[in-house]
Amino acid sequence: MSALVEVERLSKSFGRVRALSEVSFSVDEGEVLGFLGPNGAGKTTTIRILLGLLHGDGGTAKIGGHDCWTDHARASRFFGATLEQPGFYGFLSGRDNLRQFARMLGPVDEKQMTELLGLVGMTERADDKVKRYSMGMRQRLALAQALLGKPRLLVLDEPTNGLDPNGIHGLRILLRNLASERGLTIFFSSHLLSEVEELCDRVVVLHRGEVKASGPLTELMNVKGFRYRIDVSDVDKALEIVHGVDGARAEPGTIKDSINVTADHDIARQINYALVSAGVGVDQLVRTEQGLEDIYIQLTGVPVASPLSSPVAPQ
Amino acid sequence: MSLVLSLIRNEVEKTWRSRWIVFAVLGALFLLIAGGLYIYYVHLENRWTPQAPVAWQSQLRDQMKSNEQEIVNLEQVKQQGRGGTVRVGGRGGADLTLDQAIAQAKQAISDDQYLLDHNIAPVQTFAIAQAALFALGGIVMFLLIRIFGWLASEQIAGERSDRTITILLSRPPSRDQVLSAKAMASFLIGLAVVLVTLLIIFGMFAFWFGSPGSLSDQAGIAIDGNNPLGPGNLLQMPIWLFVFMCLGAAMLGVLCVQGMSLLISVLTGRWAAIGITLALLFGAPLVSTIVAGILFLISGSQDSSHFLRYLFFNVLAPVGSVAPTFGNTTAAAGSGVTEFVSEVETLAVWTVGFFLVAWLLFRRKQEAG
Repeated sequence: MSALVEVERLSKSFGRVRALSEVSFSVDEGEVLGFLGPNGAGKTTTIRILLGLLHGDGGTAKIGGHDCWTDHARASRFFGATLEQPGFYGFLSGRDNLRQFARMLGPVDEKQMTELLGLVGMTERADDKVKRYSMGMRQRLALAQALLGKPRLLVLDEPTNGLDPNGIHGLRILLRNLASERGLTIFFSSHLLSEVEELCDRVVVLHRGEVKASGPLTELMNVKGFRYRIDVSDVDKALEIVHGVDGARAEPGTIKDSINVTADHDIARQINYALVSAGVGVDQLVRTEQGLEDIYIQLTGVPVASPLSSPVAPQ
Repeated sequence: MSLVLSLIRNEVEKTWRSRWIVFAVLGALFLLIAGGLYIYYVHLENRWTPQAPVAWQSQLRDQMKSNEQEIVNLEQVKQQGRGGTVRVGGRGGADLTLDQAIAQAKQAISDDQYLLDHNIAPVQTFAIAQAALFALGGIVMFLLIRIFGWLASEQIAGERSDRTITILLSRPPSRDQVLSAKAMASFLIGLAVVLVTLLIIFGMFAFWFGSPGSLSDQAGIAIDGNNPLGPGNLLQMPIWLFVFMCLGAAMLGVLCVQGMSLLISVLTGRWAAIGITLALLFGAPLVSTIVAGILFLISGSQDSSHFLRYLFFNVLAPVGSVAPTFGNTTAAAGSGVTEFVSEVETLAVWTVGFFLVAWLLFRRKQEAG
């Protein structure tokens, strides 16, 4: 597979603030890449450089082999994009907005516009003015706008912002179909790790303008040791005892009366023995898979946003 | 090219759909003024229909009589020893001594006599020329030019505030094409409004004159309105060319304001752009007048503030400098073609400058969000 997006040693500063520091990654044709990082990591800056809205201070950013700043006209033929908080002309209807953006690509294909509005579930409200749209509807219209002109690459910056759980679920199915049926390459930036975990083949984790990890999800999730969830009768005492076990790191679990333990090697028996010997009841000891969330926290040191600030999709 | 045409279409559509109310209010305002003037006419003349047209020679003779009467009045004031100054040209006119005012009235009579002797019709005796002078050089441009400035200031700043600029600039059209399309769309909208305005006012003057008049006749304009008319101080041209010249100069003023507004628009968000543009268009001439007044008080000479004529906001309607040339009253201390050309040159330099800077900034402007 050839790389559709190539970012090489990309750097960018805003005054004294260094937003990107020699960031390098690539996105292959047909791939779904998750672009992760906490707020201020440089995700949106990278995306804005790819879209030709900013230019880097050093390094290169290319799409389809064309520089995103100096050869923007050619590079932009490859992609459609939505940015966080998509903007539209509020005084125009959704359909007229699409028509405006379609004219920038050449003759307007009304049939394609109607299809896209149907694809994102906006047919019924297509002729309403955008100023009456909810955030979720704007996100869906933004996706239709990004798909105008049948791009080979879809660049999505936080596309689930403002969507309700049903909307997120629908978007996930839509993106999965676009990737599998149309072979669309998707560059997907999101705070929702579960979405990235569900959709992406590969992830790039960015933190403070630097790439902290990059690779296939399966590889990233299997290289970081062992993880257990233990249901116990006394959490505080269990934590104290597990801390004494060589190589074990313990923290209270999210489930009531449970603790989470991580270790570089398999120490299930030692933990069980230590707890039972100390008189702590062990109801269950389960080895769990390391999730993207754990990797993200380990790499960035930043806790994932709470469900209240960033709704998690229903599983 | 077709892409630029599509972009222009987009811009025109957006301006119309978002700001149609402005054009509707303007239209209503013009209708109201036209209706008011018609009622005034009916009241004044006691008739519903236009009067019979008056030959320009008769108009000039009437004006000569009027000027002769004014000279008599001024001489009487002078003999009574009251002295002082006479304000000519209404608000914004100049204060002249009695001797200066008498000299001007005499020159106006002499000019009229020259035109009669050589059978040259002055421009103001044509309905279309009067419409051009009033619409393109007068109060109408004062209003329109500020509206065009406001609309142009939103062109890019509005996209930034609405966050649509990210789509606009990430699509295949280059920034040069986007800026050109916005400038051309602004200009075309301005041209359409100015033409409609000119037509409405032409209709009003045609009614007042009793006839739309001829478009092919020759008309004369002073080259230097401060000096007596003569072979070296009179430019003759077909009246349609005169109107075309006025329209071109007026649209250059519009373009200059739009260039300035686009430049501001490149740098800021919507409300800042509108605020700065309107502050400049309304505030700068006021500040300039105050500065001119202070300079006059200090130096005692009008010439000390002449440099202010090189500021674009003081010459936005160059047609205005032709308008008083043939007023044929003591207020006729006009400037003529020389000043008109000088103002057009000044405007051209500012216009090119504004667009050049806007273009240079826009093509490098980074949209960090």
